[in-house]
Amino acid sequence: MLVTFYLNNTQVSYDVRPDEYLSHTLRSHGIKSVKVGCNESTCGSCTLLVDDKPVMSCSVLTASIEGKHVTTVEGIQEEAAKIAYHFAEEGADQCGFCNAGYALVVYALKREIKNPTEEQIIDYIVGNLCRCSGLQSQLNAIKAYLKEE
Amino acid sequence: MAVDKKKLKVVNNKTHSIDGQGLMQGRSYYTDDLAEQNSLVIKILRSPHAFAHIKSIDVSEAQKLNGVALVLTYKDVPHVSFSRAGQGYPEPSPHDKFILDEYVRYVGDEVAMVAAVDERVAEEALKLIKVEYEVLEPVLDFETAYENKSIIHPEDGIKEMFPIGFEPKKNVAAAYEMEVGDVEKELAKSDVIVDETFYSQAQAHAMLETHSSNARLDAHNRLVIYSSTQTPFHMRRIMATTLGLPVSKIRFIKPRVGGGFGGKQAFHGEMFCALTTLRTGKPSKLVYTREEVFGASYTRHPMRIRMRIGAMKDGRINAIDCRSLSDTGAYGEHSLTVFMIVGSKVLPLYNKVDAVKFGGQVVYTNHVPAGAYRGYGAIQGNYALEATIDILAEKLGMDPKVLREKNSMKEKETSPIFEIMGEGTKGTAMIMESCKLPYCIKRGAELIGWEKNWPRVKVSDTKVRGYGMAIAMQGSGIPFMDMGSCSIKLNDGGSYNVTVGATDIGQGSDTLIAQIVAEELQTSVDNILIYSSDTDLTPFDCGAYASSTTYISGNAAWKAAIKMRERLIKEAAEYLSEKPENVEFDGKIFTSKDKQVSLYDLSVQFLYNKNLHQVSITESYYGHVSPPPFMAAYAEVEVDLETGEYEVLNYVTVTDCGTTINPMLARGQVEGGIVQGLGMACFEDVKYDKKGNLLSNNFLGYHIPTHKEIHKLTSEFADSYEPTGPFGAKSVGEIGIDTPPAVICNAIYNATGVRVHNLPITPEKILKGLKELKK
Amino acid sequence: MKVNEYYRASSLEDAYQKLLASPKNAIIAGGLWMKKMGQSYETLIDLSNLGLDKIEDKKDEVVVGALATQRDFENSKVVSFLYAGAPAFAVREVMGVNFRNIATIGGSIMGRYPFSDVITGLLPYDVKLEFYPAQKMSLEEYLNYKGRLNAILVAVHIKKIEGKGYFKKVKTTALDFPIVNIAVAKVAGEYRVVVGARPMVAAKAYKAMEYLNNGAKDFTKAAELAVEELSFMDNKDASKEYRVDLAKVYVRRGLEEVSK
Repeated sequence: MLVTFYLNNTQVSYDVRPDEYLSHTLRSHGIKSVKVGCNESTCGSCTLLVDDKPVMSCSVLTASIEGKHVTTVEGIQEEAAKIAYHFAEEGADQCGFCNAGYALVVYALKREIKNPTEEQIIDYIVGNLCRCSGLQSQLNAIKAYLKEE
Repeated sequence: MAVDKKKLKVVNNKTHSIDGQGLMQGRSYYTDDLAEQNSLVIKILRSPHAFAHIKSIDVSEAQKLNGVALVLTYKDVPHVSFSRAGQGYPEPSPHDKFILDEYVRYVGDEVAMVAAVDERVAEEALKLIKVEYEVLEPVLDFETAYENKSIIHPEDGIKEMFPIGFEPKKNVAAAYEMEVGDVEKELAKSDVIVDETFYSQAQAHAMLETHSSNARLDAHNRLVIYSSTQTPFHMRRIMATTLGLPVSKIRFIKPRVGGGFGGKQAFHGEMFCALTTLRTGKPSKLVYTREEVFGASYTRHPMRIRMRIGAMKDGRINAIDCRSLSDTGAYGEHSLTVFMIVGSKVLPLYNKVDAVKFGGQVVYTNHVPAGAYRGYGAIQGNYALEATIDILAEKLGMDPKVLREKNSMKEKETSPIFEIMGEGTKGTAMIMESCKLPYCIKRGAELIGWEKNWPRVKVSDTKVRGYGMAIAMQGSGIPFMDMGSCSIKLNDGGSYNVTVGATDIGQGSDTLIAQIVAEELQTSVDNILIYSSDTDLTPFDCGAYASSTTYISGNAAWKAAIKMRERLIKEAAEYLSEKPENVEFDGKIFTSKDKQVSLYDLSVQFLYNKNLHQVSITESYYGHVSPPPFMAAYAEVEVDLETGEYEVLNYVTVTDCGTTINPMLARGQVEGGIVQGLGMACFEDVKYDKKGNLLSNNFLGYHIPTHKEIHKLTSEFADSYEPTGPFGAKSVGEIGIDTPPAVICNAIYNATGVRVHNLPITPEKILKGLKELKK
Repeated sequence: MKVNEYYRASSLEDAYQKLLASPKNAIIAGGLWMKKMGQSYETLIDLSNLGLDKIEDKKDEVVVGALATQRDFENSKVVSFLYAGAPAFAVREVMGVNFRNIATIGGSIMGRYPFSDVITGLLPYDVKLEFYPAQKMSLEEYLNYKGRLNAILVAVHIKKIEGKGYFKKVKTTALDFPIVNIAVAKVAGEYRVVVGARPMVAAKAYKAMEYLNNGAKDFTKAAELAVEELSFMDNKDASKEYRVDLAKVYVRRGLEEVSK
């Protein structure tokens, strides 16, 4: 079936199977920034934004996003670079597999909640697993990014 | 010659990881990102039985399915035993695995392979394969494996490469015994003896990128494999031997690896990609599902460890006896070497004993195989030893911190164990040229408020805080066995290509090697163009394991940079018609008296104008010792006495890893290790059903720590300098993971009086213990 | 999961007719558990064009559209005022934001999942489910309904009554199913006690409620009555005995909290 949606503000139409998931569709069309870590909506690596809301794309049927706006990390390159700066400042980046998902979830957090409390930040990012870092460094980096004007 | 740390400009200075930004921006850099677009997709049919013999297997229906390119069973692949372990040569692991076999030895073992045009067709084809199994009685309790009537490896053609105690007919993959002095005699003389047994679980690596590999033939018809591996050179060698190909026909490329922790030292799928591409001529790929990573790769070795320690009333420890039993599951990857580390990187902590003994067996069971995992036996040993030390301290009426201070390793001391125990072989004697453990213990105690808080502080009628500690050590590579090398090439304009076999798996080795080279060549990190690792393009490196990268590969890079610097000065001297000893180089300009030439000009001249040649250097390094990093760790836990639930409020570590080449990355290694160790200590439970099915085979059943469980990590480093390390550095990749099981065990005991002898330390176990105490 | 057709319904009647057309047809809400179960469907029926994702503040009730996501629910101002925020808190305990932006309130309820935090979190209150074709039943009636209900959940009606709620999910890590979950409330002076994930789906502890609502004040005793009445079982996450111990402690703590 043909599904038409906006990928980083550009309209695209992909011919997909009705049971195809968004992470699969995007990766097979060359959007390799979408990382699949568990393919069962638990690890958060495949997080991207659908209509500005972070979702795990491994579990969103492509058929369901007709007409919607999808943002991958390619659509927020400048913000991703800023987040990366703070990750590097805190020594929070290691293998990087979870990072694109983090960039999107943190970007969405910044837009959704102004001056979030620590509890709100943790609640927002807890669905993104990281096995490399001590997590605290990530949290500190994210706090620093959120403080940026 | 010690380097003055204060004068360092790049090394030991805050340096951003060189690839962090690109990775955050989502660059295609990981194995599956680089698979050919039209790759055949490989899927594996896996055993539903813990132990069975394949009586018949019919793949005809699967082969007929439209879109299926290749189906392989044990009848179609070379019957050559090998070890997936991904180690040097000869391997200390038994060759007890076939690419496909007529026996299946755990639920998840490979039965057959399908390659098809896409995943759906491949999965459909798997369902069409008809297998008739003769189901055999599995061994699912490792304490009954030895000489069990069920023999897990009855087959011919399996072997040990040198004596490792391999007795497959008794279900023994490896065995080891050592003794210094007379332990029984020393125990008999002791005023106090403690005798405790601990169990640790089959922790999963749970790296976020699942195992992944893909293959294609290049224009020379050579096999080119991208693999998410820690050991590309070992992969090439082992694959060549097993498939009967010349090494020259295989090229392994390791792109960015999305976390390894030991899990990607071994083969997971690469053989199937190679066979598919060789037989079909088409590119292929195999990406493990998360369930396959949990249930069909390998895990940490679960162990039972009995510690007996004897001490005098004044707190002098006389003797330690450590008896271990290790469960290697269906295959013996890393069976001996992980086992030996339980002793060799744990027991020397208490080096003043008169006698020490270590030994036991590594047995086969019908569980998911065990293999290399960060800590590599040291975490299991540390849990048993450091919990027992606390029990001993209580019996002696001593503060466990004081007991540790009195008996633990100090600078310029040694342990006889270093010489006796190595990596599956004899070890190497060494003196601790750098050991700031006493400082680490003292400083950690200050940070946690030990004097004021230990053993417990009551918060309310239902809440109490407990404080616990442990010390740990690891190693830095394997002496005379691990080798790393580095090539540096001068480009026009004065930048340097640095190619290393060292495998960056997320720990940041590309960044820190660039720092080492930049420091020596007095340039900036962005002037160093580093590339790792590709068996065609980069010089050899054993790979990322055994805490070897900073020390071994870092030393190779340092050596190469020193040589490059000497070479450049020599070249410049020739150019200036001066003697090398009169030429100074500041990283940009060569100066001799009144004459000078810039590196920029010189490098352009060599390629385009005058005395045309390429300036390049390759150097290698292997260790003569394996200087251990040391750590003291403390935790504050708060326990709910009514439910057993607890939180780790603060985890304090003070680490001696010599010079921190990259202080932020070093902290990342320590804290990442701590959190993984806390996972093993607190949450990561491994559960099988009675038939040997792994139940905890996804992230909903196997719980790794999240942002909500980690509250505060306090990480400091001791001022330390290891004279044999690059700019004074030792390793830091594994030491972080070693302490949490013992520290949490001790802290929970101090809070509640409940001693948990089997990991993980769950609230349910604590509450059970609390109820028993009330009886 | 295998699907032959993805169908966007144009009306509830259209969706309903499609649902009746084949036993292999199904309504998709968030689709998370559907993916996990991996079954085959002829047609998946998408209701997202039908405006079922609204959360409305009516005079004496809050009406939550079946397709409102868990995230919509917890973020809703009107929901946050309900019962001192306990139902919203219960939903916030489910996984992460990137999960709750997919999972819907309707999907969480229709599945009657034993591990559901949503169901446990809502059961203490006066909650009515509105179905198409027109039918209403309480959440509790639906939980006790035998067999598959061939109807489409349209909205969840939560009565606004003065009261205070408490919710506790006991878990290993944040991304975990509950080992047990407990919801306690005092609504218009009346106590309600619910225990879920025992590991069976949530149920009310009637004997404990009756004991308390007759004026008894011994919360420890009430908690004991609750665990006596409700059945508990072992599974891989915890033993029956531990679940009972946890339920006892948290029912008591919940009662202490809501009676403040």
